[in-house]
Amino acid sequence: MNVANQSYPENRSENASDHSLVPPCQDACPLHMDIREYVGLVSQGRIMEALQVIRTGNPFPSICAYVCTHPCEDACRRSQVDKPIAIRSLKRFAVEFGGDRMVRAEAETKHAEKVAIVGSGPAGLACAYYLKKLGYAVTVLEAHSELGGMLRVGIPQYRLPREVLNIEVQRLIRMGVEIRTDTRVVSLDLLFELGYKAIFITIGAHQSLRMGIEGEESPGVIDGATFLREVNLGLKPSLGKRVAVVGGGNVAIDAARTATRLGIKKVSILYRRSRAEMPADPKEVEQALEEGIDIIYLVTPTIIKRENKRLNVTCVRMELGEPDESGRQRPVPIKDSVFIEKFDTLIAAIGQAPQTPSDFGVRIGRGSTIQVDPSTLTTNRVGVFAGGDAVTGPATVTEALAAGRLAALRIDDYLQHRYPLPVKETKEKLGGDLLPKTIEMIKKIERVEPPNLAFEARAKDFETVELVYGWEQAINEARRCLRCGVGVEILFQDKCATCLTCLRVCPYHVPYLDVSGTIRIPADQCQACGICVAECPAKAIVLRKPFDRRQVTDELGHTIKSAAESKNKPLIIGFCCQYGLYGTGTLARLWRGAKAGVSIVPVLCVAKVEATHLLSAFKTGAEGVFVAGCGEQCARENTTYWVKQRVAKVRKVLGSIGLEPERLQVFALSSTAEDPAEELDKFVEQIGSLRLASVIKGEVKS
Amino acid sequence: MIVAEQKPLEEIRRMIAPYQRVLILGCGTCMTVCDAGGELEVSFLHNALQLAQARSGDVAHTFYEHTLKRQCDPEFLGLLDEKTADVDVILSLGCGIGVQAVAERLPDMPVLPGVNTSFMGMTKESGVWDERCAACGDCRLEDTAGICPITRCTKGILNGPCAGPKKGKCEANKDMDCAWILIYQRLERLQQLDKMRRYYPPRNYRPIPRPRRITSKAGTMAGEGNG
Repeated sequence: MNVANQSYPENRSENASDHSLVPPCQDACPLHMDIREYVGLVSQGRIMEALQVIRTGNPFPSICAYVCTHPCEDACRRSQVDKPIAIRSLKRFAVEFGGDRMVRAEAETKHAEKVAIVGSGPAGLACAYYLKKLGYAVTVLEAHSELGGMLRVGIPQYRLPREVLNIEVQRLIRMGVEIRTDTRVVSLDLLFELGYKAIFITIGAHQSLRMGIEGEESPGVIDGATFLREVNLGLKPSLGKRVAVVGGGNVAIDAARTATRLGIKKVSILYRRSRAEMPADPKEVEQALEEGIDIIYLVTPTIIKRENKRLNVTCVRMELGEPDESGRQRPVPIKDSVFIEKFDTLIAAIGQAPQTPSDFGVRIGRGSTIQVDPSTLTTNRVGVFAGGDAVTGPATVTEALAAGRLAALRIDDYLQHRYPLPVKETKEKLGGDLLPKTIEMIKKIERVEPPNLAFEARAKDFETVELVYGWEQAINEARRCLRCGVGVEILFQDKCATCLTCLRVCPYHVPYLDVSGTIRIPADQCQACGICVAECPAKAIVLRKPFDRRQVTDELGHTIKSAAESKNKPLIIGFCCQYGLYGTGTLARLWRGAKAGVSIVPVLCVAKVEATHLLSAFKTGAEGVFVAGCGEQCARENTTYWVKQRVAKVRKVLGSIGLEPERLQVFALSSTAEDPAEELDKFVEQIGSLRLASVIKGEVKS
Repeated sequence: MIVAEQKPLEEIRRMIAPYQRVLILGCGTCMTVCDAGGELEVSFLHNALQLAQARSGDVAHTFYEHTLKRQCDPEFLGLLDEKTADVDVILSLGCGIGVQAVAERLPDMPVLPGVNTSFMGMTKESGVWDERCAACGDCRLEDTAGICPITRCTKGILNGPCAGPKKGKCEANKDMDCAWILIYQRLERLQQLDKMRRYYPPRNYRPIPRPRRITSKAGTMAGEGNG
């Protein structure tokens, strides 16, 4: 398998006429995952295929499904309409329902060179995974007793079940990655002496920053990273009754929620800014509040005094002043606002930095991070690469995975004496905001949130808080995707007669006439419904992806072919939308082959079924043809209306050649109906009797 | 723009009956815009004819399809030559002009009209076209506030309205606006009602010698004949 191609989906354009654009979600993802693709597959209920797409772009999708900070959702343009797609939850659904834990990764060693990976956090594990896939012997060296780095010692179990992590670790071991735990590396020279040809340093950022206040060294004051590490490695630090956590990042929230789970009733977070500036994931903050954690904003501790085994913490209230270099308003102490609070334990979680042994001999830059070339991850030492938090300072799991993958590719280049070529962006990015007139026409569909563990049940133990979607929920959520970047384009400008049909039929007011009188269909506004493609009288408009362009025709071809092979003429051909009802399985009995004599042509929205497709279906000898869409449930506008127009046109043709127009039907099914398939059953019956009548008349052979 | 509509399938089938290999030829200009003979319609007709043939078990025609940018220019028709070597007939979905242009270009090839060329008009809304010009060759729109009584008045009268209109509608068709009422209203708006009071003498109905020819070449000498 070619890892280089696999890891950069934008390089996979096997077809030169693929004009799809990179959507904002994919662009925002550090791993550049093909999110639009797998969300699309989930919306059709094709979970296994969705998992395949996910696994192509991500070495440990199950882990990301729990802990990714989903920058993709922040970039999602659906948020301009209502709320972004719940991408992470959909990934979680795909890995659980798709059976990610059953996937076996296999690799064989092809190269003689050995690579050592110092640190087994997400960057180290990802690097090991890809290097192993590329055929290298890999050894992972970990100072702690178990693999995972921050995944193991930083992230609480209620956010990432250890079982998930263990499965990934086991998978690596099965692939043949050598693991050395309880092994702290002090010198790289030794590793080179042991025969390793390249080293990847990924030691993370485990050293907590100091608050720099009086009394910080007192017993009862502990730093966030240490606290979480102790709890995660199975220790139960004694915290007393009242705990304060200082900080506003994810570690602070994790520490507070962990303390709650250790049985502490009163946990307060002291944060020096207000909620809007809090860097922690808002969802986590919400859940912390639900669990009864008190967040005191605009407060900072200044002096800690230990008296009678308790901590007297002098605090000062803050107000927000001028913005600082991070763009957030700088907190300024308010005069005479000093107050004293008593706590048993104070957990300082105000940030972390890497701590690189000086014997490594690598150049250290700002914030104690290792300096590397960002495109090759090379350090100042030959053969030594570095990545992850050790280079970036505390960042996200996904960024670390991306760094690990990049390191693997660059180490491969280095060991094979190749010049590291920069990854070329072959596709344009899609950016820009949706116009108000377009937003207005996009159906608002409520975001489906996955259920959460009831909060009474939460605070007691370390069970996972976020639960997984049910089948129907996931499909309905995935259907909200706007499919940015796979809309239409006027591929054949020379054919365009500027008839303005597209401008008139578009439900979203996307096509427009520019000042020179040329029709334009801006890619960043198109909603990919496909109505204009089927209506364009010059056939000048096409969908941007070759697969989408051919889909209905190809599927019809398959249906006809398989019917020919079975020597049974299809009695009825049905063009069925694969989103919604069909994806959820409500109409499972109409899936391909499920009903005798009914052949199903799966389509991605009935708006893409053209009049000629309907004629072609009859041409194959079908006695009846139907189009079944999602009706009111369709995530797009006007789709049923346009199908009915085309059906009316084809019915006219049927009438003029002596076929009953009733042989062609449209069904706009909705799940609210008692039995959505009942109409279809009636139709099948009717066609049966029409056929019988023709047999009696001798028009067709039985 | 020239507006046409496709002929009924039965008529087309009757026309092509004697021929085996049929080239369905679309036109990428007016016929595309009026949904009568663009590439989409060519392909639809192709499929419809194949279906009709499959159902009836008639003579087995072989169909080919092609769409030219414009059938009414000889240079575009030049692109046809290689397409016509193996066909017996061309079913043109161009307007009447296109059909003749193709026939002129290919002296040995029968050419059939696939559409009924109807009028010169404009789009009212998607899929609906209205007649607007009769090509009378003597334009009076200056006097009638940009509304043509020749085309839009059922009677084509020059000094309207007649005594027929009721509530602004034509006596011949109560769904149709009376062109002369429209003219009156627009002249009033433009403060040119004096034009309404004028008498317009009958047009010169002396038969205009057909076919007409227009030339925009500057140096054309007088006496250069027609045809």
